[in-house]
Amino acid sequence: MDSINTKAWYVAKKNVKEKLKNYGSMFWTIFFPIMMLIVYKLVFTDDGNNDGTELINGLTVFDLEFPGIVVYTIGISTLTSAVMFSVSKKNGTLERLDSMPVGRGNIFLGAVLSETIFMNLQLVLVFGFGYGILGAYFEPTMFFLGYIIAMIYGIGAIGLGLIIASFTNSPEAANGIGMMTHMILMFTSGSFFPFESPCVYFTPQFWVKQVYLQSTVLGHSFSDKLYSGSMIGYSSDPISITILGGIFIIIFFTMTFIFIGLMLFQKKTKL
Amino acid sequence: MNASIKEDVQKTYIDPDQSSNSKNSDEFIIEVQGLEKTFGGFKAVDGINLHIRKGELFSLLGPNGAGKSTTIKMLTTVLKPSNGNARINNYRLIKEKMKIKPLIGVCPQENVIFEALTAEDNVKFVAHMHGMDFDEINIRTKALLEKMNIAGRKKAAKSFSGGMKRRLNLVMSLIHYPQILFLDEPSAGLDPQGRRLVWDFINDLKKTGMTIILTTHDMIEADVLSDHIAIMDHGKIIAFGTSEELKNSSSNGNILEFSFFSNKELIQAQKKLKEIDNVTKITEIENNKLVLSFSGGIKTFKEEILNCVDSFKTLQFREDTLEDIFLKLTGRGLRD
Repeated sequence: MDSINTKAWYVAKKNVKEKLKNYGSMFWTIFFPIMMLIVYKLVFTDDGNNDGTELINGLTVFDLEFPGIVVYTIGISTLTSAVMFSVSKKNGTLERLDSMPVGRGNIFLGAVLSETIFMNLQLVLVFGFGYGILGAYFEPTMFFLGYIIAMIYGIGAIGLGLIIASFTNSPEAANGIGMMTHMILMFTSGSFFPFESPCVYFTPQFWVKQVYLQSTVLGHSFSDKLYSGSMIGYSSDPISITILGGIFIIIFFTMTFIFIGLMLFQKKTKL
Repeated sequence: MNASIKEDVQKTYIDPDQSSNSKNSDEFIIEVQGLEKTFGGFKAVDGINLHIRKGELFSLLGPNGAGKSTTIKMLTTVLKPSNGNARINNYRLIKEKMKIKPLIGVCPQENVIFEALTAEDNVKFVAHMHGMDFDEINIRTKALLEKMNIAGRKKAAKSFSGGMKRRLNLVMSLIHYPQILFLDEPSAGLDPQGRRLVWDFINDLKKTGMTIILTTHDMIEADVLSDHIAIMDHGKIIAFGTSEELKNSSSNGNILEFSFFSNKELIQAQKKLKEIDNVTKITEIENNKLVLSFSGGIKTFKEEILNCVDSFKTLQFREDTLEDIFLKLTGRGLRD
């Protein structure tokens, strides 16, 4: 077990070094979320003119939409992991690793570790900017829960990246399809902009944003009902699923994506 | 393949099944029996048998698409055979993969390196995958990179020249002192200096007692480096032996190689040359060249041959090379 963890750690370390030198990936993972935060702050903040931007208990649209930026930031792992696995498939490094005394389990664990390290870095930056500099509102007691939810979702996003990498033949294709998938899911889940429709329930992003919003921003408890969108008390109504139920749905999506991703990638790359 | 050539192959080919019965199996570090790999309906490797001795340099020689790389991929546990089996240092290839992997080093045909990392990071990563300790990794990485003239470079490997990437590829396969080193076209794409450096390095490795399996389509490389050579074509081993044994297997030791200005001249000459009794085989190769095998001394029918050929660019007389052996066995050149 010790050697399994050690080798996975070295795979992760190598992946992080590679990611840090990929400036395109750095833009989408680090700078784009910060840019979005600034845009959201400028567009959705209360301008003091009492024009309806102040919605619930003094919270602005920016406060309510901040979880959407967290979902975007973490979900970008779909794109970066799809590219990472696709590169290893295309340039033969996966095959080279297969000839070494390191199992696929270690390779996947190393990939998840490296993505998790990056997700943490992203969250630190987004939380620092959002909460620290731009003053987004959050309930301090529920902050840790929000962090855990984001991480669970992030692992699912890696699974989705694996699924994409299984079907794409080049890193360029993985990049394009990964970005397209992520953005479509972001918009159809109402994570970027409030979107009220039954279709949102089929996206993991909706559950992550709603659970994160209601627990971390609004301070709701596990037994409280989830709402159909982020415009709570405005256009969103309660649904029959509680916040705890929402957490289970996020876990279900994560496990499903990881399981399908691992199965497909193994099947497609096993020579 | 004509009858005399078949006979020659049989003379030089050592049946692994027979040799394993007659010799101590400890002598062999790799034993392959009926190994096959099929992709769809295409048999890339067609039931090959091999026995490779500990500490020898064994070359798989053949044209592109002969099945050399597929064979190497199977022996390095990357590719699952469709049929047959092999033992590497007495471990079963299919069932004991994880015991085989620490024993082998693989230098793939393409430069498979982590482009964003430095040479040192690339080598150290492979060393960590083999569970080497820190001090050993540092000492050996430095020594190997220095030996290959790529030490001290702090830039990412993607900025390296093709030759440097090739040498880094080789160092990555050696860092953990493998018992068996698989080199898939190790000098492909190298300039003469780089090629010489790699050959010298391979010769040094051979002296350490490492078993080296080399695939190449370079005759000279196989000739200069190998203890034993297996010639592969269409997924089968068509000849086996030492370089000398393979060359001696040809009953017609004399070769004339004509180079013509045009294909028309070549065809005319070919027609006439076929009628000479002493000429045993005529093979057309690339760039309007004809390779003529003949029995007896050249003096006896020099005039007769030259009468058949109206004009030619160059004429070369030489003894059989490995390439000639290959031509005789397959009827095509190595780079076809």
